[in-house]
Amino acid sequence: MIMDRREALLLPVSPWFIAGSLISAFLVSMLLSFSHALWMPDVLAVCIFFWGIHQPRRVGMAIAFVLGLWMDVQHSSLLGQHALSYVVLSYFAFSLHRRLLWFPIKEQMLQIAPFFIFAESIGLIIRLSTGNDFPGWPILLSPLLETLLWPVANFILLAPQRRAHDPDAHRPI
Amino acid sequence: MALDSLDRSPPPFFRVGFAPLTKLVFFSALSLLLMFGDQQLQFTKPLRAALSTLILPVQWLVLQPGQAWSSLGNHFQSLEQAQQNLKAAELKALELSVRSQQVEQLQIENQTLRQLMGMSSNLSANFQAAEILFDVPDPYNQRLVINKGQTNGVALGSPVIDAGGVIGQITRLYPMTAEVTLLTDQNQSIPVLNSRTGARNITNGDMLEGVPMIELKFVPASADVKEGDLLTTSGIDGVYPAGLQVARISHIERRVDISFARIHAKPLAELQGRHVLVLQPTGAASAAKGKAP
Repeated sequence: MIMDRREALLLPVSPWFIAGSLISAFLVSMLLSFSHALWMPDVLAVCIFFWGIHQPRRVGMAIAFVLGLWMDVQHSSLLGQHALSYVVLSYFAFSLHRRLLWFPIKEQMLQIAPFFIFAESIGLIIRLSTGNDFPGWPILLSPLLETLLWPVANFILLAPQRRAHDPDAHRPI
Repeated sequence: MALDSLDRSPPPFFRVGFAPLTKLVFFSALSLLLMFGDQQLQFTKPLRAALSTLILPVQWLVLQPGQAWSSLGNHFQSLEQAQQNLKAAELKALELSVRSQQVEQLQIENQTLRQLMGMSSNLSANFQAAEILFDVPDPYNQRLVINKGQTNGVALGSPVIDAGGVIGQITRLYPMTAEVTLLTDQNQSIPVLNSRTGARNITNGDMLEGVPMIELKFVPASADVKEGDLLTTSGIDGVYPAGLQVARISHIERRVDISFARIHAKPLAELQGRHVLVLQPTGAASAAKGKAP
């Protein structure tokens, strides 16, 4: 069964890389948000979810909460709106982290899509309940695009942990 | 490679921290408290101001590529275009100079008349120029951020205008920046005067077929309103100086079953350049002088 895992043997992760990836995801989110497209995926949410799956003891709900507050200030939305959806996302990641990585990447995407949709709808419900108008249907595309970003995140964020492919006579794989 | 790194060490046996569910409940409750505070009680203002000041250099950095791109575009704009712009600007300046001479004379006349009638003189608003940094990314609001804040003497509630007319009002004040809520935001109201009929109304922002517009509230279906009427600030609110252009009426819908007409107006603010003017609220100016507005 363990042979099914494509990334069975990875190098240990550097905490600096985790911090760097979260900060750059925040910057990319910020840059993308200036385009004012409703369907723009939230890169930071994907990054928090990714590390919540792969390093649940390093990136937890506290970090998600703080990053969410920053995001709220940057978006000038209700203070706590992004924080709540990131905390919930991080909790889902924690509850999934032992199971999810046993599946191939396509099935992983199928399993995480509902969580991204749920996290997005938290923000939507909060804003609708505080008297804002529905911003438009393209907002539902955003969690789907976040799901599509999952393989990309896997490729980029695990890159420093992959071993160099170096077979010789004694180590055939 | 450090052997004590996380992947090689077993999970801690005793010190595992709080249960995930406890953490979830704690942080969710904290977010809900913050949201309630932000919406109802306004006690999150210092927190927001502190976080926004910390984030400002990062925002500046992120905005640089876009600004460099647009300034590059301006640089390679054709000579013809520049000459056309110059000609248009000169024409406009000429028009404005004629008008300003008239205004000068009218102002003197007005002042004399007001003195004759014993009315307090209209205070001329003092203003400062500011630059638009970016539109707020939140899709539920229509706001923008300008580069003048508390340290520049901007007051909460100040009107913001550009060459076309009133843009909106400052609704959040940070030390270095300020947030302007546009008149087309659904929570933003402005008292206006129909300059043709003299009728006073109140407006708020409304989306009409996806285009942000201004809606006139509580106008009876029989009221004298025509398409193309100019709406200006009425000046009775103690915030906006009187006579600033706001919008022009573009859609009127009268229906038999509703006693109010649905009237939409197109805002006159251009929002094309990057420069705006921040005025001082008229009420604040007169309060500082110890007079009733």
